[in-house]
Amino acid sequence: MRKFIVQITILSILVLVAFALILSRANGYTDPFYIRFTTPKQQNLILGTSRAAQGVQPEVLKNAFNRNFNNYSFTIAHSPFGATYLESIKNKLDHDQKDGIFIITVDPWSISSTTLSPNDSLNFRELELCLSNTPKVDRDPNYTYLLRNLKGKYRELVIRKKAGLYLHNDGWLEISINMDSAIAEKRIAERVEMYRTTNLPYYQFSSLRLEYLQKTIEFLNQHGNVYLVRLPLHPDMMDIDNLLMPDFNEKIEQLAPQTKGYYDMTIFNDEFSYTDGNHLYKESGKIVTNKIAKWIKEI
Amino acid sequence: MLFNSIDFAIFLPIIFILYWFVTSKNLRLQNLLIVIASYTFYGWWDWRFLSLIIFSTIVDFFVGQGLKRHSNETKRKLLLWTSILVNIGFLGVFKYYNFFLDNFVSAFTFFGKGIQANSLNIILPVGISFYTFQTLSYSIDVYRRKMEPTNDFIAFAAFVSFFPQLVAGPIERATNLIPQFRHKRKFDYDKATDGVRQILWGLFKKMVIADNCAEFANEIFNNSAELSGSTLVLGGLFFAFQIYGDFSGYSDIAIGTSRLFGFNLMRNFAFPYFSRDIAEFWRRWHISLSTWFRDYLYIPLGGSRGGTWMKIRNTFIIFIVSGFWHGASWTFIIWGALNAIYFLPLMLTNNNRNNLETVAQGKDLPSIRELVQMLLTFGLTFFAWIFFRADNIGHAFQYISGIFQDPESFINLSIYGQYKTIIVFLFIFICIEWIGRENQYAIEKIGSSWAKPARWIFYFLIALTTLLYSGQQQEFIYFQF
Repeated sequence: MRKFIVQITILSILVLVAFALILSRANGYTDPFYIRFTTPKQQNLILGTSRAAQGVQPEVLKNAFNRNFNNYSFTIAHSPFGATYLESIKNKLDHDQKDGIFIITVDPWSISSTTLSPNDSLNFRELELCLSNTPKVDRDPNYTYLLRNLKGKYRELVIRKKAGLYLHNDGWLEISINMDSAIAEKRIAERVEMYRTTNLPYYQFSSLRLEYLQKTIEFLNQHGNVYLVRLPLHPDMMDIDNLLMPDFNEKIEQLAPQTKGYYDMTIFNDEFSYTDGNHLYKESGKIVTNKIAKWIKEI
Repeated sequence: MLFNSIDFAIFLPIIFILYWFVTSKNLRLQNLLIVIASYTFYGWWDWRFLSLIIFSTIVDFFVGQGLKRHSNETKRKLLLWTSILVNIGFLGVFKYYNFFLDNFVSAFTFFGKGIQANSLNIILPVGISFYTFQTLSYSIDVYRRKMEPTNDFIAFAAFVSFFPQLVAGPIERATNLIPQFRHKRKFDYDKATDGVRQILWGLFKKMVIADNCAEFANEIFNNSAELSGSTLVLGGLFFAFQIYGDFSGYSDIAIGTSRLFGFNLMRNFAFPYFSRDIAEFWRRWHISLSTWFRDYLYIPLGGSRGGTWMKIRNTFIIFIVSGFWHGASWTFIIWGALNAIYFLPLMLTNNNRNNLETVAQGKDLPSIRELVQMLLTFGLTFFAWIFFRADNIGHAFQYISGIFQDPESFINLSIYGQYKTIIVFLFIFICIEWIGRENQYAIEKIGSSWAKPARWIFYFLIALTTLLYSGQQQEFIYFQF
């Protein structure tokens, strides 16, 4: 019996150690979220959905304000405003910080939900996703995240492949993609159509999510200054945003007094290039981030 | 609780330690631990359905006691039918109620008499087809005086609910398993290491082969109308290996786990895809169910005795019932009927027992004839699996016609590129299975003559590959049956 237990234990340990070593190879190419769960607690945050994840570059803000920023934005599925996202933000924030800069990007999708009843928080889909199942957000390697969210993809850690998607340590998701005008236009048209047919019919405004946006602002106000930003997007995508929530700006402006201000950048929609209509291309993202920095300084 | 889950990886060592270190001195306590562990294992999925197992256990235990007391044949028959009605009644309600109701309504509508009936939103309890058949074997064997009923309720409850094989078999016979609960088990190093080896191979089959094949098979079957013929063939191939890896993998883990606790369960799979005809395939696929139907249905119906029509009737009955056992759907019934059609020519020409030995026994490679026979047999099963997997009969026919619609696609090698990793794994898997085909499971003897470090590296690599190359976790297919 003793021999059996010793042998099984040794073999199990060897296998688990090898497995853990391979998991620890996860990096910015692994997936669009992992790195955000591995960096230390942060003092200055960029929050929102994938528009912010790809569009707001912490490095630019660092140069402008001489302090580190972290982009803690995910997607409309993972990080719409709600209890899950707020809890994760609380976990990511360094609670000693009292004069942080918090840029909350907002869009109609982040205060909407796909549940039959829009306030049915027990069935919000983010409950099944990484922000909900990864309570520790500053572990490197973050085995909880890897075991719960990378199932079926561990093989990709054995032979690392470089891809067009890279998540920087500061949380910015860099997308390298063919931006030839014909190809980009086709991609934009497809994405817009996808939003029109696949997303638009199923999303509806959630007053609970708006309430959580307010709670997020209130929480962050205790640790510094909050700035609300609506990022530019392709005009065709803007039409869909307007179809989903024609009174979006009025809703946000009601919350603006609790913040340092609301910057609606959709007035610049025509000035930028987009990877798929929904997300700023990196060159444009840099300009937009600079504009945000300038706006914050001017307030 | 799934075998391929972290929950089970924690649960198993705890029960193992309690079993051998805390309760080992008292047989009843050890059996009680098995009952508690088994109910926990089952209740992890849905504790409400434990009541069905407990009720079935109580009924069959007292039926056994009654059969012991009474020698009057009428009373004995009444007791037997009580057991049959309770167990088949559970199956009828939970598994077949909606099927019969829907077909009843369709039949009336077809004849112009539309009726309305409310189908029930019934959840199918996991493993109900397995444990009901297992307890039925007890009542029938006691009725037939093949075994003495047990007076030990705990041992009987452990037999009904034994967690390694509770939800997906092997469907054990009371004559094999109950005596093992009545005798003290001793820890046996060789048996335990063999058990771990079999668990390891079962996990590889499930997590690497079945779960990876499942991703592609699901994608292809769900989008079959838009895909080329060659992709559809690959989809069928992936499903064939998914169901084999899934179910035989489960059986390997169940048998291996039982061995850790000192039990011997019956073999459930014997390399069925190396069969040279359909009769051999059915001697090697889901053996515990095939033999159950043989002993408790086919032989009582007259078996292969009697005239030609009797043989044909019995063959169709057993295969169609077997298909229906898998699920309340016409696709399973067609699958069963197809296998009956495959089987009949062999039986009617007395060729159904031609291939009793393992193929190419003692040789490295099969002869050309054997290879052709194996490929033909696999082709037949592949065709039948399409019905098994399809959403409905229309889908199956659409899938089959799709295979023949685009012959050029078969020479378009780029189609195969996206599946190259799983194709490589399948090739390695088939090679290992071929090498180990004369044993109880493929890696039973592989490496037994190697130096210890080499053997350890082999097991280490299988375990690590299983963790790294596991597909998206899927429930075991046979849980739904």
